[in-house]
Amino acid sequence: MAFTDHEILETVRMFELETLDIRTTTLGINLLDCADPDLEATCEKIYAKIVHHGRNLVAIADSITADYGIPIVNKRIATTPIALVAAACGSRDLVPIARAMDAAARECGVDFIGGFTAYVYKGFSNADRALFESIPQALAQTERVCSSIALASTRAGINMDATARFAEIVLETARLTQDRGGLGCAKLVCFANAVEDNPFVAGAHLGVGEAETVINVGVSGPGVVRSALARLGRDADLLAVAETVKRTAFKITRMGELVGREAARRMGTTFGIVDISLAPTPALGDSVSDILELIGVDRTGAPGTTVALALLTDAVKKGGAMASSSVGGLSGAFIPVSEDSGMIEAVRCGALSLAKLEAMTSVCSVGLDMVAVPGDTPAATIFGIIADEMAIGMVNYKTTAVRIIPVPGKGPGDTVEWGGLLGTAIVQDPGRFSCAGLFARGGRVPAPIQSYRN
Amino acid sequence: MAKRFLTAEDVRHAGTKEIVVDEQTIVTPQAMEAAQSASIVIRTAAGAYAEPKPDRGPDADRALRSLPHLPEPQDEEAAGAGVIVTAVGKNRAGVLAELTGALAQAGVSIHDISQRVVDGYFHLILVVELDPGATFGPLKQRLECMGGPDDYAVRVMHQRVFRFMHRV
Repeated sequence: MAFTDHEILETVRMFELETLDIRTTTLGINLLDCADPDLEATCEKIYAKIVHHGRNLVAIADSITADYGIPIVNKRIATTPIALVAAACGSRDLVPIARAMDAAARECGVDFIGGFTAYVYKGFSNADRALFESIPQALAQTERVCSSIALASTRAGINMDATARFAEIVLETARLTQDRGGLGCAKLVCFANAVEDNPFVAGAHLGVGEAETVINVGVSGPGVVRSALARLGRDADLLAVAETVKRTAFKITRMGELVGREAARRMGTTFGIVDISLAPTPALGDSVSDILELIGVDRTGAPGTTVALALLTDAVKKGGAMASSSVGGLSGAFIPVSEDSGMIEAVRCGALSLAKLEAMTSVCSVGLDMVAVPGDTPAATIFGIIADEMAIGMVNYKTTAVRIIPVPGKGPGDTVEWGGLLGTAIVQDPGRFSCAGLFARGGRVPAPIQSYRN
Repeated sequence: MAKRFLTAEDVRHAGTKEIVVDEQTIVTPQAMEAAQSASIVIRTAAGAYAEPKPDRGPDADRALRSLPHLPEPQDEEAAGAGVIVTAVGKNRAGVLAELTGALAQAGVSIHDISQRVVDGYFHLILVVELDPGATFGPLKQRLECMGGPDDYAVRVMHQRVFRFMHRV
């Protein structure tokens, strides 16, 4: 037999018992040729092009699942940053474009479409400003559109004017979607060092250096890593832990590679990258927090959590890098608080504070993700949380993001249910001290010394 | 150069009863509607307009050609379209017969077989090969319907899944 019984049963077990799946197959579509001096025509072209390319994405992903027995959970679309596409029309209200994207996503049968995006790390163009101001209405009026803003980069520094305005936009978005627990903010994220081939929402978009169309794949599998570590036992040393994670990540990534190649072949397009992020879901056992606890912390958030997460993220990247020549996206471990049953529990029992979470983001693959704060949190405080996170990304040459949800009408310790993949959150306390002075200053944090590499 | 899109605005400004577009042009649904309501015919030089095949860009062809197929065997044809069938469940008489019977009915030949029973539970692994022309989907569906919650569960997977996962 070409494979041992052990190998075969291991694979079957991963799919059957350890919830291994391909988290997303994302089709990137370049929309730059949809630019038009007329807003209505821009919307028409955007709708037509997305549907033209994305129409059979879901059928193709389903056919791969049928042929290989690998579940592909989400099918998504990422587009060129809309601020670039919409610049030619000069419109101040870009909500119609979001509606066109939403309609196209519905027509294609995908659950989310990313790309209502602007890069403003150094300054605003007129179109960037228009996109910014359209975000709250765009997210309130659409169901599937996701918005991301690049606020900072190691090369450019942090645009603090944009960060301050972004904080206000987060609050405005929460207010407009207050009947759904501020859910609009779950579709809104900001980045330092944004990744232009990110297949995961809310940050998915297709950067300008990318091909006309491209398939990017995001694999998951915290359940598989957790089980492998459980089998390893408590006595193994950390080198053995790292090795186990690495080997497991290799296997998971290979599934992404297989699906990515096959999806690209069947679509007739370019295969971009595999993003090897361990992405938890609210389902039991599908938790990054559980992995950290297996490595040896009592509760996620206890002292030792950051080093455990650092080891995990690094081992995942190493295993993935061996498994695929085109590892990209964010790659590592996500720690979205509301989407991880273990993290929710850690917040509930007081183990995981916002401060510890911020420390963890310096070594995880993204940043503060799906964090709920009280709905009456001042804009300056949200600004401060975001700016701190941007600083971590800028100085460390690392992608960091913030997806924060000020939940209207809720205070610290309250529970909010978003349902589905977005899960449940316990509202966290951002503290009572403010940074209003910093908020009022405006301007830009200059690029750090690390950026002078030429 | 060919026009990339034809929009409703273009149709309204055309001023003719017939618009000839390039074969690669994407006519938006709104343009179609506008043309229909104004009884304007949209066609290509060759005849009736049909939505073009998606142009996935200049990289697409090359990308298809250059996909390295490691860890695929050099000669995949020779390796055959291998399928691995696993069954796990409570041991009882006749399980193997049921499965092999179903495989025989499907005209599938068995290349390798391995079975163990531990503590009253069995696991069974069959490496089978589909006839050229036979399709994987129906076989998979048929086999995975066998067994039951209190009996055994069958999984059918393409050999390539195992090759990708376990070979460097």
